[in-house]
Amino acid sequence: MSKVSVIISREFLTRIKKKSFIITTLLLPVLMVVMMVLPIYIAHHSEKVCTVFVLDENDYFLNQFHNTSKVKFEFPSGELEDMQQRCINGECDAVLHILKGNQSNRANLFFSEDPPLSLKSDIGEQMDEILFDRALQKEFNLDIKKYKSIKDLSHSDIQTLQIDENGQAKEKMVEMNRIVGMVCGMLIYFFVFMYANQVMRSVIEEKSNRIIEVIVSSVKPFQFMMGKIVGVALAGLTQFVAQIILVVALLFSVQLIVPELVAGDEATTEVVSQTGTAFDGAMVASDADVFGDISAFYSFPFSTLLLCFLFYFIIGYLMYASLYAGVGSATDNETDSSQLVLPISLPLVIAIIVIFMGLSPQSEVVRWLSFIPFTSPIAMLYRIPSGVPLWELLLSCGILVVTFLGCVWFAAKVYRIGLLTYGKKVTWKELFRWLRM
Amino acid sequence: MNIIEVRNVTKRFGAQVALDNLSLSIAPGRIFGLLGPNGAGKTTLIRLLTCINVPDEGDIWFQGHPLVADDVARIGYLPEERGLYKRMTVSEVAVYLAQLRGMSKKEAVSSLKQWFEKLGIEAWWNRRVEELSKGMQQKVQFVVTVVHRPDFLIFDEPFSGFDPINAEQLKQEILELKQQGATVILSTHNMASVEEICDDIALINRGRVMLEGEVREVRRRFRQNRYTVTFEGEAAALTLPEWMQILSQNTDSQTTTLELQLSDTHVSNDVLQFFVPRVAVTSFGEILPSMNDVFIHTVQSQNESK
Repeated sequence: MSKVSVIISREFLTRIKKKSFIITTLLLPVLMVVMMVLPIYIAHHSEKVCTVFVLDENDYFLNQFHNTSKVKFEFPSGELEDMQQRCINGECDAVLHILKGNQSNRANLFFSEDPPLSLKSDIGEQMDEILFDRALQKEFNLDIKKYKSIKDLSHSDIQTLQIDENGQAKEKMVEMNRIVGMVCGMLIYFFVFMYANQVMRSVIEEKSNRIIEVIVSSVKPFQFMMGKIVGVALAGLTQFVAQIILVVALLFSVQLIVPELVAGDEATTEVVSQTGTAFDGAMVASDADVFGDISAFYSFPFSTLLLCFLFYFIIGYLMYASLYAGVGSATDNETDSSQLVLPISLPLVIAIIVIFMGLSPQSEVVRWLSFIPFTSPIAMLYRIPSGVPLWELLLSCGILVVTFLGCVWFAAKVYRIGLLTYGKKVTWKELFRWLRM
Repeated sequence: MNIIEVRNVTKRFGAQVALDNLSLSIAPGRIFGLLGPNGAGKTTLIRLLTCINVPDEGDIWFQGHPLVADDVARIGYLPEERGLYKRMTVSEVAVYLAQLRGMSKKEAVSSLKQWFEKLGIEAWWNRRVEELSKGMQQKVQFVVTVVHRPDFLIFDEPFSGFDPINAEQLKQEILELKQQGATVILSTHNMASVEEICDDIALINRGRVMLEGEVREVRRRFRQNRYTVTFEGEAAALTLPEWMQILSQNTDSQTTTLELQLSDTHVSNDVLQFFVPRVAVTSFGEILPSMNDVFIHTVQSQNESK
């Protein structure tokens, strides 16, 4: 085994043998699956039909409520106290007491045991509708049935199509493009941050426990740095892949045991939007529309995206990891490292913020960020699904590669000197001075 | 052929000159003491010898050819600032470091096991490094330094952190390595150990060699015409001539020991010619300055002259 492979295997093995590594590898997928399944599970299991006794002081709403899959309305006669007592006895889940008044829009909902969260809004929606229908009828003398059927029929359906140079229109899913771009950018962001940071921590550790001089007297600092960066990346990828496999396996087994929980039926989508776990409109749309449209899915630049993802992922990580290693080598402890790291990590943070602001992939800002090497791994991947001219892609890759080589050179220089420099609070100015040594 | 030849080497760190046109050579099979005050440039020199840094000017020859990175496999280096991975087991760290020095895993394990047995530390094999005391870790570090059977060894302050028993054991191991043909550089501030085990020394200060040579010869170079005489009886009975000053006097029930400073005009025989007719001399010898005295004298006189 060459020395570099000895280094890679140590970095890899010590990481994957760590308890914390094993725990996070197992725990994260479990947490993710729980977070995905739990709301659905809760929704399913709280989905018993609630019986609501309605006491209307104006008889305005009498028999106007319609029963749904979740709520059943009854209109027994009697006093409020009477009904409340029956509620306590368990004859109903809640008592809706509509107060006396002109508009009849104020009501109290009594219950003895906590009702489902959606009960109040379900009842409120029905009340609003009844009041609105009444008002329409009263003010405009409308036929409510006819009005409703017209309203249901008036429904638009917009397709997004992109025109190429030849004037050919192609179906494109705007939301889909953005989501895929965002996910790719985020993956790179997290990977770089987590594992480049690990590289830095490990460099600082080796410095502070003073093993580094023993090591660099047998291997070249550059070999050692690269071995470490690759070893950490392999450990990271192992964790990554293991987690993806685990999530899929867990979801699959959950589906086998309780099929209704994972199936993407309408109830699920409904529940997701109701429980508020969806991030925004686009995300909700992802469930219902995006995956539905197969033809748009196939027109997606898969191979380009995959190739570019791998390229930006690997080069981006190597670039950042070597910078982190260089900076780590210049400090004795982690607290001192933060001020040196800040200028390096800032571009990444800016790129991810710009993407999450929802800026169009075609906007000028994103375009510029996709050329700047410190942001391009994130910004360019955000652009690719929406289509990028080849020359721009090649230019961005070229700039990244040149910067990457420059960063490795810089990091190796700093690393070589920093490793054996103790007790100095190093500034960026000092680091650049080291380059001339 | 010298194992190491440093020829006119200069090394700067920014504006600071760490080594200033320094030359020295080390003969094979010797223990070479590298001495000097803190900040003299010893560690810088060692880092050049181990290819951690490269000289700005001048060159270094190793076994008759210019030193290259691959030669490091023939060198064993125990740095002053030394550590181990705390969370790994002793055997894991030791095997890893041995592999980095070019051994295969199998070779490393068998050779390490031999060394562990030799030093009586085989029980530590599967212990975690963090469970070991500092002295214990030092022993492991020593083993790791010598495990790949290097021809040339560099020990930077090897005795620090050791109790007297372990320090003695280490000293014996170093002497044994020398007998087996290894050349050793010993960088230390412990002058007693220099006198005991070093054959040659070089004293460097401010990046230059101040003093170089065989230990006894160097000490003789600093001789101050001082002698010690032991005789039966008491000193009070004697009237000493002017050219002989008593530096110290030690009397027990039967004998007296005097340490004498002679003036430049007189030699050892004059002392004997004075004492022999008067008292029964039981021992007589020259007092050579200790390496400690040589060190202090050399460094101070250079610092004063600047």
